[in-house]
Amino acid sequence: MITPYRMQPANFNPEIPKELVLLSIIAQSFFQPFSLEDNLLVILTALTSGAGIGFNRATLFLSEGDKLKATMWLGPRSPEEAEAIWTMLSSPGLGYAEIVEYNRELVSRLLPDLKPKLRTLEYNLEDENLKLPAAAVRDREIVLVTGASSDPRVDRRFLDFVQVDEFLCLPLVTRNEIMGEIVVDNAITHAPITSRDIELASLCALLAGNYIHTTRLYKKVLEMEKMAALGEMAAFISHQLRNPIVAIGGFTRQLVNQPCNQEKCQRNLNIIQEEIKHLEEIIFRMSHFLRIKIKELVPIDYRPILQAIKERPDIKAKATGKVISISLPENNSLILCDPVYFEEALVNLLDNALDVTPPGGRVYIRACQRNRKWVTITIKDSGPGLDEKSLEKMFSPFFSTKESGLGLGLLFVRRVLESCGGKVEVRSKPGRGTMFRLYFLARERGAS
Amino acid sequence: MKKILLVEDDKSLSLLYQEELTGEGYEVVLAADAESALELVRSGGFDLIITDIRMPGKDGIELISSIMGMRKDIPIIINTAYQSYKGDFMTWAADAYLIKSSSLDELKTKIRELLAD
Repeated sequence: MITPYRMQPANFNPEIPKELVLLSIIAQSFFQPFSLEDNLLVILTALTSGAGIGFNRATLFLSEGDKLKATMWLGPRSPEEAEAIWTMLSSPGLGYAEIVEYNRELVSRLLPDLKPKLRTLEYNLEDENLKLPAAAVRDREIVLVTGASSDPRVDRRFLDFVQVDEFLCLPLVTRNEIMGEIVVDNAITHAPITSRDIELASLCALLAGNYIHTTRLYKKVLEMEKMAALGEMAAFISHQLRNPIVAIGGFTRQLVNQPCNQEKCQRNLNIIQEEIKHLEEIIFRMSHFLRIKIKELVPIDYRPILQAIKERPDIKAKATGKVISISLPENNSLILCDPVYFEEALVNLLDNALDVTPPGGRVYIRACQRNRKWVTITIKDSGPGLDEKSLEKMFSPFFSTKESGLGLGLLFVRRVLESCGGKVEVRSKPGRGTMFRLYFLARERGAS
Repeated sequence: MKKILLVEDDKSLSLLYQEELTGEGYEVVLAADAESALELVRSGGFDLIITDIRMPGKDGIELISSIMGMRKDIPIIINTAYQSYKGDFMTWAADAYLIKSSSLDELKTKIRELLAD
């Protein structure tokens, strides 16, 4: 027998331990988009929902350098609001995903009002007289505060904001770093915070600390990748642009500093003109590449486009003495793409293929309906093939095996395919030629 | 007359260097890639080699190690658009590492220095 189960259980058996319930709520976050706010909201939901620990309200602080800043608040602001929210949330059949969704809305509804107040809750963690709640995270301790209004160790601004005598401070930390803090309370029901509540809340705090840490690391990695790409770009610019610039400068210097006869003057000017044209071309191609923007995907018939590419004068000139053979499938399904970008991507690949194919050699273009989902177009050259090193780097920006190549062509092809919901596969071996297989989403003719 | 081998694949730049260095009183022989440069070095008679690094086929760094395997006594100047190869220890084998510039003064000074030894 085969029995399917839902990946995310909508409701839990009330008998199972709360720890499992919490984990299941937090597991929801794996199905959320990877955003810090979303993930933290899930944790706040786990802390405050009746199905979770059931605190009335939660305030979230995030660290920013030496500062600890209040950034999010979840919960009703008054008993009336609480009544409305909790009635809503306890309606039968409401799953965790719906509760998270509801809370997301609640937070964005409350935030404009709360923002000015939250902004006043900012602490310097280096401050020697640091008070609670911030002192808890500095000391890396979970702290239960009771009788807050008469305790000088509690910050007055915070008390004015929460208006509550009993609250629990949950530090969000990793081994070495302070990530933030969550403060929870039962301001509406006035239920005392039990040691069982604290046990469960500490589990949420551990996960939240980890979340923030991971998200921040991820951001850092993205930035580093960007910097690395910038570095490559700088190297590229210094090479591609420097050669023409040095030529222009050098020949101009000759004109300025050395006596030249008419003929030499003219020659220098011609070279300068040529090199400037070259520079313009580089800039045009770069900006063209950076501007890829496919507004709308349309079903297109790729067959006539493929045939037309073969007849383009630039391709024909390159194909002299070589053979381009095209084979098309029997059926007549369409592909989703932008016709202009489709043609350019294909021309790019065909141009490369012809470059490496020796005289008398053959370039194959083969379109194929692989299944209902994909149409593939394969371009295979009879060139020398690529070694592993080149294969690995072939899609990195500014990598080219051609001296005059910008190293943007294949990246362009890949970006076009990705924008169309497709992908590119490459196979190559030294001595065996290179094969590019483009996957396009298939559409049946006449289908909407 | 001192004889210089210039390895450079950019046509305009080759012409520029050739004219300027001929004007300084050197004989300049051009090679557009590492393979033909090696052929020329094998046939002998050069007092100095100037090479670019990024070229089609074998790059300048491979060229330098090949030359080192053949003749250790010819001074080599790297003349390139790239700063980044300075970190590659193979480039330390060269006698000078210059960044291409529209002023050839630095290159000319370096050549004079190296040929004076």
